[in-house]
Amino acid sequence: MNNSLWTVMSFTMRNKLRSKGFIIMTVVLALLLVVAGNLPYLIEKLSGGSGGATKVGYAEGQQTQVVEGLKSHYAKLPEPGVELVGIASEEQLKSALENGDIKGYLTFQEDAAAGFPKVTYNSKSAFEGGTSSSLTGALQQVKYDTVLDGAGLSDAQKAQLHAPVSFQTQKVSFTNEEGKTEEEQGIAIALTYVMIIMLFMAVMITGQLIATEITAEKSSRVMEIIVTSVSPLKQMWGKILGTFLVAMIQIVILVGALVANLSLPHNSDILKNFGFDLSTIDPLLLIFAIFFYLAGFFLYATLFAAIGSIVSRTEDLGQAVMPITMLTLVGFYIAIFGLNQPDSTLMVVCQYIPFFSPFIMFLRIGVAEPAWWEIAFSIGILIASILAIGWLSAKIYRVGVLMYGKRPSMKEIVKAMKAYKV
Amino acid sequence: MNPLKVDRIIKNYGDKRAVNGLSFEVAAGEIYGLLGANGAGKTTTMRMILGLILPDEGDIRYLGNSYSEQQLSMLGYLPEERGMYPNIKVSEQIMYLAQLRGMSRKDADKNLKLWLEKFQVPEYYNKKVEELSKGNQQKIQFIAAVIHKPKILILDEAFSGLDPVNVELLKTTVKELRDGGTSIVFSTHRMEHVEELCRNITIMHKSNPVLQGPIKDIKKKFPQERVIVTADGKIEGLDKIPGVRQVILHEHGGYELKVDSPAVGQSILKHALDQGPVNRFEVLEPTLNEIFIKTVGESHE
Repeated sequence: MNNSLWTVMSFTMRNKLRSKGFIIMTVVLALLLVVAGNLPYLIEKLSGGSGGATKVGYAEGQQTQVVEGLKSHYAKLPEPGVELVGIASEEQLKSALENGDIKGYLTFQEDAAAGFPKVTYNSKSAFEGGTSSSLTGALQQVKYDTVLDGAGLSDAQKAQLHAPVSFQTQKVSFTNEEGKTEEEQGIAIALTYVMIIMLFMAVMITGQLIATEITAEKSSRVMEIIVTSVSPLKQMWGKILGTFLVAMIQIVILVGALVANLSLPHNSDILKNFGFDLSTIDPLLLIFAIFFYLAGFFLYATLFAAIGSIVSRTEDLGQAVMPITMLTLVGFYIAIFGLNQPDSTLMVVCQYIPFFSPFIMFLRIGVAEPAWWEIAFSIGILIASILAIGWLSAKIYRVGVLMYGKRPSMKEIVKAMKAYKV
Repeated sequence: MNPLKVDRIIKNYGDKRAVNGLSFEVAAGEIYGLLGANGAGKTTTMRMILGLILPDEGDIRYLGNSYSEQQLSMLGYLPEERGMYPNIKVSEQIMYLAQLRGMSRKDADKNLKLWLEKFQVPEYYNKKVEELSKGNQQKIQFIAAVIHKPKILILDEAFSGLDPVNVELLKTTVKELRDGGTSIVFSTHRMEHVEELCRNITIMHKSNPVLQGPIKDIKKKFPQERVIVTADGKIEGLDKIPGVRQVILHEHGGYELKVDSPAVGQSILKHALDQGPVNRFEVLEPTLNEIFIKTVGESHE
């Protein structure tokens, strides 16, 4: 009669997939992700790529040395962000700005102590981050050159001065042959982050959904008929698996939308520039991600099902699931905090606590280097507790679905279990 | 062999005994009445028959077999508190419930259409349950209980909350199912339905079966204590006849007398005939309602 498990599953899935709420939410989320996926490209398009350099005016004849320095600096750049435009007099600068001939203009003020004039960039909006930071950098360069010209340094020495310091961080690994590079580390952190958030959302949204559905079945009394046609255990697992598959379908759609957009040619180049390459993901890490995701999901889902089964009215559900919600929240926040300190004692302890370990253990595998026995021990505890909690939840479920009226206390549930002989 | 055989079942909830040594059998094509005041143990008994809870002692046999998951598909259940998925189409949920009972989707669909046709509401196929009136929801619920052609059907308060037309409709359907060979356990507080439908009954009181057997035999155990006599004119001195305890004058003529024994009826008839022609004379057997109140009410003292 494994048919009935399948029947419950497909019924749950059919109703979820058909519901308007689900369809709308998936479409909206997918659209958001498409926008987010194209965001780096869009930002670049909107800021830098809006057709040539920003025109910045200056009054001809003022501070010629500085202006010439700036000009030659920008001339050397392959993509100058700023184009300097000479305007006859200082008075005409303002009208040129008003007409839109220039985006802004520079004014100078002597500063004998600094040996370099004070420069003011005047523009229509004070929020011209890109242009002003470009100008600051250029002016700094010009000032360097001006000062260095007097010091009589050779061109080679100047080049040495200008060259940026080469600095890299590399994590030392004791288990692998070579440590992870910064790029791999970055990808690992990103993946950890994504997995933790996805697990958190899956537990919060899908878990709640499972609990709500079960309570709704109870409060509409349809439960009485269902439990007389199919064993409660099959019904519970059918519900959990059905909702899980729906959540998976949703994730596949969303991740698919994101990845499809990220791998579009215009996006993948930008991502490569950021040092973000999807192909550098460690396959072992992905396997761990999937394992801990599933483990975390089923651990919490059975608990939500059990809670849902003992509540008779949907109004009371929020209060009843509060402890589990808190557990998830705590696990989530410890994990977020732990991203920066993956080796703190708190993390090492929490990696063995079943309700937190899906978050914490995976995080430590991703960003720290836990010993293999730590991982094995943590996974062992996790699997054991999933089985134990699944078993206990099934028992609670068995009696919970038949108990109506006020929410039963722990004592009443135990009593009912004895009476029902489950 | 009877399809349903309940043998001395006992169920305790903690210290409280919910059902104490109840036995009965339901033959094929029989409606068995399970009566009792609220909290007498009827629901617990039905839940045990449905296999939701196991009896502490005793045994329930389905066509000779003990309870197992295979029996689930031959059981049908109409619970006292009606419930369906409010915002799912009638066809979807009936087919779901039928599939859970082991039917194929195709058969379920065919049967559902037949039933909707029978109840003259084929247009409900694509409607959501919340769009239907309460009485019509009940029809759908009834279909859900019988769509898989159960051999054993349990009806808990099947006709409550229905208008007389729909009660008649469902009653006819229940009789048809009975004639088709279904064993039906029927629980209700409406005694006139029991008298009309049931062959055998059990009256439960405070977990104990206090009165059991065929309705005819049960009625014989209770003395015939009521006499109705009607004449054109007044009948004087009825209250003077020995053995008459009470005389009630009915609004539209006629007297109802409470008597000590059925034999008193003869002297009442003689007395009435002496005063003129008698239109109606009847020694009434007790109604089930009276028996119920007497059985359950008296042991309350």
